[in-house]
Amino acid sequence: MMAQPVQREELLARRILAIDDEEANVLLLASLLEREGYGDVHYLTDPARAMETFLALQPDIVLLDLMMPGVDGFQLLEAFARHAREDDFRPILVLTADTTLQARRRALALGAKDFVVKPFDIIEVSLRIANLLETRILYERLRQNPAANQT
Amino acid sequence: MSARPARIMRHWANQPLAWKGLVVVALPLAVLIGALGSLYISSRVEAQAESDVRRAFAIQRDTYRVHALLAEAAAGVRGYLLTREERFLEPYRKAEADLPATMARLDADIRDAEVRARFERVQARTAQKREGLATLVALADSPGDPATRAARIEAALAANKVVLDSMRAEIDNIQRREAVLLDQRRARVESVQRNFLILTVISALVGLLGSLAAVYLFSTGIVRRVRLLEGNAERLARGEELGPFPEDADEIGRLARRLSLASQLLRAREQDLRESEERFRLVVEGVQDYGIFALDPDGVVASWNLGAQRIKGWQAQEILGHHFSRFYPPETRDYLPGRMLDMARQGGTAEDEGWRLRKDGSRFWANVVITALYDDAGQLRGFAKVTRDITERRRTEEALRQAREEAIAANLAKSEFLSRTSHELRTPLSAILGFGQLLELDEEQFDTRHRAAIGQITKAGRHLLSLINDLLDISSIEAGGSELELERVDMGEMLAEMHALALPIVAEAGLDFRLEPDPGPLAATADRRRLTQVILNLVANAAKYNRDGTFVRLGCHVLDGEAVVEVEDDGPGIAAADVPRLFTPFDRLGQQSRMRVDGSGLGLALSRRLVEAMGGQIAYAPGRKGALFRFTLPLAARPADEDKAMRPRKAARKAATAKSHNPVETNAK
Repeated sequence: MMAQPVQREELLARRILAIDDEEANVLLLASLLEREGYGDVHYLTDPARAMETFLALQPDIVLLDLMMPGVDGFQLLEAFARHAREDDFRPILVLTADTTLQARRRALALGAKDFVVKPFDIIEVSLRIANLLETRILYERLRQNPAANQT
Repeated sequence: MSARPARIMRHWANQPLAWKGLVVVALPLAVLIGALGSLYISSRVEAQAESDVRRAFAIQRDTYRVHALLAEAAAGVRGYLLTREERFLEPYRKAEADLPATMARLDADIRDAEVRARFERVQARTAQKREGLATLVALADSPGDPATRAARIEAALAANKVVLDSMRAEIDNIQRREAVLLDQRRARVESVQRNFLILTVISALVGLLGSLAAVYLFSTGIVRRVRLLEGNAERLARGEELGPFPEDADEIGRLARRLSLASQLLRAREQDLRESEERFRLVVEGVQDYGIFALDPDGVVASWNLGAQRIKGWQAQEILGHHFSRFYPPETRDYLPGRMLDMARQGGTAEDEGWRLRKDGSRFWANVVITALYDDAGQLRGFAKVTRDITERRRTEEALRQAREEAIAANLAKSEFLSRTSHELRTPLSAILGFGQLLELDEEQFDTRHRAAIGQITKAGRHLLSLINDLLDISSIEAGGSELELERVDMGEMLAEMHALALPIVAEAGLDFRLEPDPGPLAATADRRRLTQVILNLVANAAKYNRDGTFVRLGCHVLDGEAVVEVEDDGPGIAAADVPRLFTPFDRLGQQSRMRVDGSGLGLALSRRLVEAMGGQIAYAPGRKGALFRFTLPLAARPADEDKAMRPRKAARKAATAKSHNPVETNAK
C-alpha cells in the first residue's frame, strides 16, 4: 500500500513555537510563516517562559535560538529531550548566529533535528520546517497504523 | 786523600762483589799459609840440628866405648898372662863380641871428613890391637920354652901398648873434633830458632795488617755503602729525597742507581699527582655557581668550596664538622637529610629540588645531588654533595608559566570576543537580510523605486555579511584560533576541481578559462578548504577586473622545491603605484571600480594570511599583459602514490572538460 502523501493543509495546520530573545527575528519568522499560510504559530521572546510554554502548547515543531540571556538554548534542548516520548518525533530546528562547529555539533548531539546559521535564506528555512513537519506527520501515521510498517 | 789512593779506591769499588769477597778472604788465608810453611821449614831444620847433636854424642860415646873395651881387654889379657885364669879373658871376649857392632855404628854415624879419616886410623889401630891381643892369648897357650915365650910376650905387650896409645890419641882427636862440630851444630840450631821466631813475628804482623786491610776494604767497599743504601731505601719509603751515593759499577752501585731511578720516578709521579690534586682542588674550590662539598659517612660536612660559601653564606671554618641537616628548613629537617643519604647509599645518587636555608635563615630553592663515595674495598667513605641555587630559574619558570597562562587566557578571551562579535553582528543582520528577502518575494506589490531600494538593502546587507565573515576570518587567523587542517593535496586534482567550480563565473564575464600548466603528479601540503578559498578568490578577482581581456589562466608548477600556483589574466593589470597596497585590508584601489565591482576589500588580505598560515607566500607580478598573482605552497614530503593520485584527478579532469552546466553557487568574496 502506498503511503498517503502529506497534504499541504495538513502541514499548515500544525502548531509551531518560535523562541528567540530578539524581537526582530521573531517577527521575521512570524512574517515568513504567516506568508506561507501556517495558522497555528506561537512566538516567545522570554526564554524563561520557554519550558512552561512548550509544555502548555505541545507544539509540533520548535524553532529555537541558542544564545539567549538567562536560559541558553542548550539547556532548553536538554529539557525538551527529558520530556520527549520515546515513540514521538517532535523536531527542534536550531536557528543561531553561532557559526562555530562546536555549537553545531553540540546542538545536534542534544537532540536538535536541524541546524541553520543566521543570517539564513528564508526560503531554505521554510522548506526545512515543512520537511520536519512532514516527517512528524508520517511518524504519527506509522504509530497509529503499525500495519503500514509491515508492507 | 791524594789522587793515587783515591784512584785505587775507585778501582776497588768498581770491582764486582764476588771478586771483593775473594780478595777479602784470600788475603789473610795467604798470610796464614805462609806462616804455616815457615813453621814447617823451621821445625825441619831444628829436628835436623837435634839429630846431628844426638849423633855427635853417640859418636863420642861409641869412641870411648871402643877405647874402654880395648883397654879392659888388654888389662884382662895381661892378667891372663900372669895368672892363666880364664876369668881374666872375659873382657877380651866381650870386646871381641861388641867391637864389630860398635865400629859399624860409628861408621854409619860419622859424616864429617876429618873425623872419618881419624876413625879409619882408629879402625886400623883397633884391628892391630885385636890382632896383638889375639897373638898374646895364643902365646900364653903355646907350649915351648917359657923364657922365649916370656920374651915374645914382653915384645908383644910393648907393641900393644904403643898401638893403644896412638889409638887413644886418635880418639882424643875425634872427641875434640866432635866437640867442635857439636858446638857448630848447637849454634846452627839456635840461629834457626831465632830465624823462626823472627819469621813468626813477621807472619803475625803481616796477617794482622792483612786482616785489618781486608776489614777496612770490606767496610769501605761494602758495609758502608750497604748502610748508605739502606738509609736511602728508608728515605724512599718515607718519600724523602735520597742521599748522595758514589757512582760505582758493582752490584751495590747498580742497586743504588736503580733505587735512585725509582726514587726519581716516584717523585715525578708524586709531583704529577700533587699537581693534579692541586688543580682539582683549585677548580672545586673556585667554582662559584655550584656549592660542592664533601660529607663524611654520617653526614658531617668535611669540605667546603667557594660556591657553597657564596650560595649558603657559611665560611668553611664555620660549617666544617657540622651535620648537613642544618641546611634544611624546619619542616623537612627531621626526615629529608636522612632519606637523601639513604637514597644515595642505595642507588648511588639522590637528587632533590626544594627549599634550603642560608646562614642568615633566608631560603633559596635548591637543586641538590648527593653521590655516595666508595673506596676500592667497597667501604662507604662519604658523600659528595653538589648544590645549585636555582631560585632565579624557578622564579623565571614561574613567571613564564604565568605569562603562558595569561597568553592562553588572553587568546581564549579574544576567541570568545570574536565569537560574541560574530554573533552580535549576525543577529541584527539576520533580521535585515531576512526581511529584505521577504520583501523581494513580494516585489510585485512594489513599484520600481521601492524594488530598487529593497535591492540595495539586500545587496548592502550581503556585502556587510561578507565583510563580517572576512573580518572574523582574518582576526581568527591572526589570533591563531583558526586551526588549519594541513594535509596532502594533489594539485592536479585540486586545480581541475577549481576550474570546474569557477568556470561559470569566468564564463559569465565572457572570458576563456584556461588550465595551464597542468601540474602533473604534484602534491602540496595545504588546508584543502582554505586553499579552495584562496584560489576562488584570485580567480573571481581576475574575472571581475578583466573587463577588456579574453582569458583567465590557472596553473601550477614546481619551482625551487615549492609548488607555485598562478592566476593570470590579460586585463588592464594593476598600476605599479598601487601594488604595495594590494594586500592591505579595505583598500580597493580606486573609487571608480567600487561602483561596478562587488567585494569586501578583504579578499587579498585574507588570501595572504591564509597562504602564509599554510607555509607559503603570495605576491603580485605584472603578467604578460594583465595581472599575475602567484603563491607558493610547501611540497608534500612523500611522493604521490601514483595509482591513488591519478584516478580521482582523471575523473576531475573529465568533469572539467565536460564543462558542466550545473549552475554552481559560489560565495565569491
